[in-house]
Formats: sequence, C-alpha cells, structure tokens
Amino acid sequence: MTMLQHSLLVLVSIAVVFAIAKKQKLSTEISMLIATIAAILVHVILPQGEDPRSQLPFLEIIRHLAEGTVTYFDVCLVFLTATFFMTLYKESGGVAYIVRQIVKTFFRRRIICLLLLTFVMLVPGAITGSGATTVLTVGGLVGAVLTAMGITEDRRVALIFILAAMSAACPPINLWAMMAAAGANMPFVGFTIPLAFLSITGALFATFYLAGRGESVNLEETLSNLPKVSEGWSGVRVVLPFIVLIGLVMAGRIWPANFPVVGLPLIFMISAGSVLLVSPKRINVFNVAITTVTNLKGLVGIMIVVGILNQIMTLTGARGLISLAVVTLPIGVLFGTLWLILPVAEGVLQYAVAPLFGVPLIMLFNMLGYDPVIALSTWAVMLPVGDCLPPTAVVGRAAVMELDYKGNYYRGFVKTALVPMFFILALCTITMIFCNEFSAIIGG
Amino acid sequence: MKNMNIKFIKVLILFIVFCVIGISGFLFREHRTFKEPVVVSEHITTVKKLSDYSDVVKGTVNDCNVYIFDSGVEGGTMLMFGGAHPEEPATNLSAQVFTENLNVTQGKIIVINRINISASTNTRMGEAYPRFFHVDTPWGVKTWRYGDRAANPLDSWPDPEVYIHYPSGQNLAYVDIRNINRNWPGKADGLLTERTAYAVMRLIEAEGVDMTLDYHEAELEYPVENTIVTHEKGNEVAAMTSMLLTSQVFDVPIGMEFSPKALHGLSHREIGDYSDAASYLVEVAEPMLDRIRGITDEELLMSGKDRFVMKAGEHGLLYAPIDENGWPINQRVARHVETAKTIMQVNNMVRPEQTILFDGIPSYHEILENGIGAYYNDPSMANPNYVYYD
Repeated sequence: MTMLQHSLLVLVSIAVVFAIAKKQKLSTEISMLIATIAAILVHVILPQGEDPRSQLPFLEIIRHLAEGTVTYFDVCLVFLTATFFMTLYKESGGVAYIVRQIVKTFFRRRIICLLLLTFVMLVPGAITGSGATTVLTVGGLVGAVLTAMGITEDRRVALIFILAAMSAACPPINLWAMMAAAGANMPFVGFTIPLAFLSITGALFATFYLAGRGESVNLEETLSNLPKVSEGWSGVRVVLPFIVLIGLVMAGRIWPANFPVVGLPLIFMISAGSVLLVSPKRINVFNVAITTVTNLKGLVGIMIVVGILNQIMTLTGARGLISLAVVTLPIGVLFGTLWLILPVAEGVLQYAVAPLFGVPLIMLFNMLGYDPVIALSTWAVMLPVGDCLPPTAVVGRAAVMELDYKGNYYRGFVKTALVPMFFILALCTITMIFCNEFSAIIGG
Repeated sequence: MKNMNIKFIKVLILFIVFCVIGISGFLFREHRTFKEPVVVSEHITTVKKLSDYSDVVKGTVNDCNVYIFDSGVEGGTMLMFGGAHPEEPATNLSAQVFTENLNVTQGKIIVINRINISASTNTRMGEAYPRFFHVDTPWGVKTWRYGDRAANPLDSWPDPEVYIHYPSGQNLAYVDIRNINRNWPGKADGLLTERTAYAVMRLIEAEGVDMTLDYHEAELEYPVENTIVTHEKGNEVAAMTSMLLTSQVFDVPIGMEFSPKALHGLSHREIGDYSDAASYLVEVAEPMLDRIRGITDEELLMSGKDRFVMKAGEHGLLYAPIDENGWPINQRVARHVETAKTIMQVNNMVRPEQTILFDGIPSYHEILENGIGAYYNDPSMANPNYVYYD
C-alpha cells in the first residue's frame, strides 16, 4: 500500500463514518468527532506498506486529540467574551435605545440608512478580522433596524451574514491573507486596495440587493413594536461602551510601541465592565454569563472538534492529500473551481485553510507569473463566503443565533444569500484571472 | 431507566475527558520541562546567559546559554544561532555540532543552540508534530525537543489582533509577535520574543560581533530555499561562499539572495541595519514543513522522504529537487555546518582583520559518512563541569 492509498482510505473513512453518524441523527459535532476517531483507528490499523513510518503509541494519539481541541482556543475566547459584552448591552437596554434613535432619524432616508448600517457592520470585522465578532457585537442591533425597515427575516439574516463575511475580509485586518502571506514570507503590503475593492463592492451589492427595497416605514407603528427603553439612557451613555471597545483596539494600533498588548478577549471584558457602569438598570451578570455560554455551546463545540479533525487529518496525511490534489490541478481548472473549493474548505477548516491552501497557491501563482498579492486578496475574500457552510458554519450559525432566526437554515437563509454570494465569488474569480491587469490599474 | 442511562453516559464521558486531560497534561509537561544536555567542547572559554547582556530576559524561559569560544588572539567575531524556529531541527543540531567540537585558534566564535527556547517547549497546534526527535550516536540514542515556529503561548499571551513590528511599523500576522525571526531588532519592553531579540542585539554590541549566522530550514514549496540570504554588508562573502560550495562540495547548489529591504523583522535585514555586524541567514530543504506532506511523523522529519512532496515536484511546484532519497537530517546538518565554516573562511580572505581560525568541526563529507550522531558527546561519561542544559 502506498501513502496515497493510505491517506485516501483515511479520507474515505472520515466521510463514511460522518455520513452514518448523521444518519443516526447525531449532532454535527459528535458525528465529526466519531469520524475523527475512526480516521485515527484506520490510520493505526492499516498496514505500513511501501513507505516507512514511525510508531504511534496510544498515549501520543491521546495527546494529538487533546492538542487539536485547543487549536482555536483564542477564537473561542473571542466568541465568548464578545457575546457576553453584547448580551450585557442588550440586557441593559442599550440596543433598543440605539435602534429607536436610528429609526427616528433615518426613517425617510433609506439609502443613507443602509449605507450607515453597512459601515457599522464592516467596522468590527475590519478591525478584528473576525466575521463572528461582527455578528456578535453589532449583528443584533443592525438586524433590529432592518426589521424596523420592513426587511423579511430570511433577507435580514442573509444580509447580516454577508456583511459579517465581508467585514472579516475588509482591510486592514484580513486574517486569511495575513496568515497565508506570513506562511509564504510575503510582507503584508499592497493588500489594502484589492481587499477593500472586493469586500466593499460585495457588501454594497448585498445591502442593496437584499434590503434596497422594503415597505416604507410607518414611524409610529414601528416604534410601538420596538422594545421599550429603560429610563436614564442618553446618547453619551449609549456610545460609551463602544468608545471603550474601539478605543482599546485603536490604542494598540496608534501607539503599538507604548500601549500594552491587551488581547481581544480582555478588551471585550473591559467593555462589558463599562456596560455595567453606564447601564441605568441592574443586570444579573451571572445569568448573562450562563446565557452566553449556553448560546455559544454549539459554536464553540464545532470549533473544538474541527481542531481535532484538522490535527488528525494532518497526522494521517489526509490533509496533505487534499492540498496536493488542489495545487496539482491545471490552472484553467483552478480558475474554474477555486470559487467553490475555497468556501467549501473554509466551511470545514476555518482559518486553517489559509496556510493549507493559501501558501501552496501563492507559490504556484507566483511561479506561473500571476500577481500573488491580488490573487491572494481574491482568495481571502472568497474564503469567508464559506462561513455559512457545514460543518462549522461559524458566522452563519452566529447570525441565526443572534437574530433568533426561526426559518430553515438552508432553504431559507442560505438560499436567500446565494445571489450576493455568487456575485462576490464571480467578482473575485474575474479579478483573479485578470490579476496582473488589475495590479497594473491600481499601480501594484 | 432512560435517565439512569443518560447519567451513566455523562459520567463515563466525564471520566474519559479527565483521563485525556491527565494523560495529555503529563505529556505536555514532559515536553515542556525536558532538558537537552550539551557536552561543550573542552576548548570552551566561558558559558554565559543571555541575561548577562540584558536584564530584559532574566528569569524567562528564553534566558538561553551563550557558548563563547575565545582564542584570545585578535581577529574577527562570529555569532551563530540555531533554534529560531524549533520546527527546523537541523538548525539547533548544526549549532550544537559547533558547541560540542569547536576549537578556536584565532578570533572568537559565539554559539547559541536555541535562541527561542520557549518555541521548543510546545509543538505547533494543528500540525500534528511529534514531541521529540532522536539521533543515533555511538553511545546510544540522543533526544531533542521538537517545537513550534513561535514561542509557547504559555510564555507569551495574548497576541495582539495584528502584530505591528517595532520600529518599522509594518503590519504582520498576529502570531508573528511570537516568531523571533519577525522580531528583530527587538524591543526592551516588548513581549518575550521581542525582548529576546533585543537582548541578542545587546550581545552583538557587547561582544563586538562582526557577522551573524541564523540557521533555518524551509519547505520545498518556498522560493527562498537552499540559499544564503545576506544583508548588503555580506554580499561578497555570501556570493563567494555560494560559488565555492556549489562548485566544489554540494550535490544540490546553494544560492545567494539579497535581504529584501521592505520585509522587516528578519535577522538578515535588521541585525545588519541595527548593528555593525554583517548578517547571514541560511536555508536548507525540510519536506516536513510542506503543507502538501503526507503522514506527519518523526520518520518524515528525520529522513525527509515524502511521496506527496515528490509528486508536487513532478508537477514542477517545488524550488528544490527531491527524489526517493529525500532530504535526510545528516545532509541538512552537513550543509549548514559546511556553509558556516565556508562563510568564515571566505570572510578571512575578504576581511583579513576579521580572521577567525578554528578546528574540530567535521566536513560535509565526514558528516555524511559518519552521521551527525558521531559528533555529539555522551553526557553521562563527560566531566559534569562540561555539561550544560538547553
């Protein structure tokens, strides 16, 4: 048996066991964990064959499983703390106050309102590089305004998802591009214009496609349907927690040599503390913490299991086989399929896809004479589109959770988001094919 | 009855989880606390700590040993360091060949086997690396820690959302704040790896270092491969070294590249810019680092044989040749050791006032013939005064 056959069998075992487990109505997380354990068993049981390999003691298997669980530890902490912050803010009545103010001010000026909402959605992800953070911080607020503007539930969730995905792609921070560039030893320079062009164009298209039309707002009726605001809120109070949040993030950027590294989890916890200080009503912090953890159980669970899957796929050669299969495709086929491969891979591997596919693809495109900066930018905008796809569907699930979506995940939300998703993927594919021409236009 | 079953399953799962935590915790601790014995050459002058040059690393895991071989005869000074990326084992192994065998008769050679010790105390999450690697020696099997590219989060955490390099202000991926080869020239009040780089810069100043050599390994998909990357100050020496080794010694040529001025934080750029030393960085092929690799284990790490990487080579996707013989660790270390020797010998010709003369270090062909294990001493049989731990 060759290594190729070995890794292929491991991959097949993952797919088969996952399918059987799902058929038995087990959750995605448990199904994936069982499939991962099956993969390691197949790896150990299969005979060595032609290629020598090291012994894999049982205790080392345990270690690999445990190590995989913490691959996305930081991301999970950001999810938990960001959600805790926003849940506290919502409980305090801050969200209701802001939504009422936006509706009162812009109910006659739909286009300006939509542009403002798009901007509000793009900022958190652009600063942190995380679409889930966008959803968990401002998704609920923007969703409430969209409700007031008469946008249907499916379109609301679809728009929140697309804008969150584009916010993660938007410069200055695009984690996929940064991780792939770091892996290829490319300076993270020259990405701002292509990333901004692709992500902002995608965000604007989605906004006006999904929310451009809607019922005209009946101010009195809308306000009466919105949650009541507790006494004591004012414009200054309501923005203070966000000033603390943005201030702490920006301080690290403006004075990087002098400001201590705080880290996003602590920044969100400090911001949560500021919510308690400005809130005119008492909040049961313990209950909010329990609600946060309960709501995020699925999201954090999937990130942990994906970490284990990634570790075991790497150990067994299955990850390398997938990567090899992609980079050895003819360039024409790559142009025609990357729009599909990248979002699907993102759905499985999350950020790990950046070094896995990004680095070999950069090398390949560079070797073939394509501008690697523009090409990487296009992939880094295509990737977050896959954040609504299984098994992880991190941002999609966060959007559904945050907006308390009751419809069907695929036939409702994902189907509604398909047109803007295809628009973004097509825009990126065209830019990728003509990356040298695009580079010449922007002076890259 | 059903409730009892669910309770039992929950208790069972909890028990399994505690077992996994206990076992893996023990293994992680074993890796983190494992000490690598180094039997220094009898010609050693002194062994200092990095904190002797700057307090900023005192009491940290990165307060590494600095092995100094000073002939007492006027000449040049070379600083070589391995372990910048502990997932590249040929780097600290090469440095240690010098530490255990060197005899300097003119000038001074300073060796750091592991410049970012913290990064060698855990492996890279998601990469399924082994914890240790082993080398056969005439007296038994010698063990080293295998590691990550970046410092251990237990020593340096949290990371910023984006790493802004000091002093250039260049944006880099957040994880690179723990990657010492993106931290030069360092920052006294920065995070652990920034402070480590800062302390090494003070060492370079204090010891009057004329040239530095940073050992690395690279994936075959990476264009900067089997090469010497040099600061402008080292152009002549690097070019002549490359020509000599390619024409007379190595089967696979070694190239020479200029350090890019726009890429900040790397040793070949910043050490040259911020000190009087000429800075060199050498790369050799390590298939274990390729993303397209197959089964990830110690066998691949040490033999450098991988069918998937070979397949990529057949498609013209690699920057280094590979066949069924792979890139074994003996060859990788032999190339690094020979390159270091040749850089110093060429520098002697180009800048006679910086002459460094030494012996005791095996040649490229000797290492290939005897294996690297032949050049590490048995700590159990050595004079305890000559045994140090990295």
